[in-house]
Amino acid sequence: MATVTPDLQRAGGGGSNVLRLGKPFRYSVLTLVGAFFIIPILASARFSFLGNNNSFTFSAYTQLFGTPQFWSTLWLSVKVGVGTVALTLALLIPTVIFVHVRLPRLRRLFESVSLLPLVIPSVVVTLGVITSFRNLPNIIYGTPVILALEYVVLALPYSYRTFDSAVQSIDLKTLVDAGQSLGAGWIKLLRFAILPNLRSGLLGASILTFAFCLGEFAVASLLSFTTFPVFLVQVGRLEASQAVALSLIALIFTWIPLALVMIVFSQRRGGRRGAGVEAAIESAVAE
Amino acid sequence: MSETKEAAIDLGRGGVEVELRGLSRYFKETTALKSLSMRAQPGELVVLLGPSGCGKTTALRMLAGLDAPDEGNILIGGKDVTSLPAAKRNIGMVFQSYSLFPNMTTRENVEFGLRVRGQKAKERSERSKEMLSLVGLTSMADRFPHQLSGGQQQRVALARALAIKPQLLLLDEPLSALDAKVRAQLREEIRRIQLELGITTFFVTHDQEEALALADRIAVMHQGRLEQLDTPLAVYSSPATEFVAEFVGTVNRLRGVVVDTGTVDVEMVGKVAYRSGPALSPGTRVQVLIRPESLGVTPASQEGSEVLSRSFLGASTKLSVRNPSGDAIVVEVSVAEAAGVADSAAVQLFARGEALLVRPALP
Repeated sequence: MATVTPDLQRAGGGGSNVLRLGKPFRYSVLTLVGAFFIIPILASARFSFLGNNNSFTFSAYTQLFGTPQFWSTLWLSVKVGVGTVALTLALLIPTVIFVHVRLPRLRRLFESVSLLPLVIPSVVVTLGVITSFRNLPNIIYGTPVILALEYVVLALPYSYRTFDSAVQSIDLKTLVDAGQSLGAGWIKLLRFAILPNLRSGLLGASILTFAFCLGEFAVASLLSFTTFPVFLVQVGRLEASQAVALSLIALIFTWIPLALVMIVFSQRRGGRRGAGVEAAIESAVAE
Repeated sequence: MSETKEAAIDLGRGGVEVELRGLSRYFKETTALKSLSMRAQPGELVVLLGPSGCGKTTALRMLAGLDAPDEGNILIGGKDVTSLPAAKRNIGMVFQSYSLFPNMTTRENVEFGLRVRGQKAKERSERSKEMLSLVGLTSMADRFPHQLSGGQQQRVALARALAIKPQLLLLDEPLSALDAKVRAQLREEIRRIQLELGITTFFVTHDQEEALALADRIAVMHQGRLEQLDTPLAVYSSPATEFVAEFVGTVNRLRGVVVDTGTVDVEMVGKVAYRSGPALSPGTRVQVLIRPESLGVTPASQEGSEVLSRSFLGASTKLSVRNPSGDAIVVEVSVAEAAGVADSAAVQLFARGEALLVRPALP
């Protein structure tokens, strides 16, 4: 013991020295990383406000807002995004919960399957979905619904993993057993006891899926839908400053819901839950 | 039927009889439970005791309706509930891991079972106050589970399980995650509440001390089978099988020869009386199972057994003695008796109580 204690003290002292020295280092790293992200955005913003002779102008934005196609494509992307989120949650919630509670040994398999869209080219997935749903009624095939179905599959690597991580963070099986022993059926169990504890995962999965829908170009273009990103590319071919302005608008549309969610949930009671949501959103954003 | 319903509503004023009839459960190649049959009297606390994998938790989960038996029936209050889902059995259960809903306060957790039953807010509030008072946590009503200690969380889980006025209470190793002091306190509290309410209770544990301290009767289980169902005293002093003798308490396994019906001559100990075991003819070589407290030591003048080490237990001392054959024998004696023999000194062992079991020696 006598030989261990001084070593521990030295180690502890060394650790605190590192922490003291590390503070400016950490701020420097954070500043560098922040600059890496912020500078291109600021440069883009500056470019979008540049007029003739380097004058300051809102013309790129006013022209965009005055274009009917801007609003129609944005509305289409939002509709597809909301639909995709709804379909994703309808698919994910029962599947992940069932796998965790009844088939825990198949969890790895489901996780692997959810990652397939990352390794299979989106063109192949698109053709697969088109072929699979060819015989469906016209309300699906040939309408933006088919796009939402595509996005459910393509966003699965992000949505599944986010929700699955949230489920893993709670002792789901015991909570289900406890709820059932107290007389709760599945609907009440989900409503009162399970989903409130998976809020961070649900939000993370929803935000990632929605952000994916707002930014996806290839599949929408392939299926001949003029979504917001497709419109952005079309505009970019004609007017560079409007294309940059559109990119910034798309960024803002992603950030606003993120910020709102963080503000709302960090102010909720208990504090801990808010922190959990923030952590989930941070991890979602990091992904 | 009406009697059963009355019993379910009138919690704490009687309890119900519970009967397991030939319950079996198979998982592929493994037999988790094999023809388990037992009956718990109204208001009785039965402890299911056994090592990991003996089937005790499987039996409890079947009682709760969280798992279904492959064979057999479960009767609660005379009514067959084997095919009834967990949500409709009106059974309170406390789990090994903390099972409180993290998004709810203590009060909301306790009220959960009443809420899903559609009870009014006023009734729920009164019942939760009553239950929190019962477990001594009235002041913690507005705290979230993460703001409570492990012991407090298990008390809330107990209050939540009792709030629904269950006809049966099931506790699945509820104390195993707690430290020793809290475990002892909560153990006494559970027994007090159980006696106060008079609710029929099944308590699963692998801790023999916990089982002996809590139970009206102990069901010792091994490899999916019931080895013995009896009072703590009977399980300890008259074990039905070698497994029970060795699992509940400490036991020495010594060599001996049958002298006559009821007496064996144990090597280096002398004559020992026994009651339990097969009929054996005099001269049969046997194995004798005897408790440490049924042996005594006196200083010996000649070479024989020797004291290897001692552990002071407060009221008694445990001596580890080695006989000339090299076998280690544990002897538990009074502090004064232990003081009479020195470490490494030669000692003579003698019997001061009966042997637990006598078995023919293996060839």
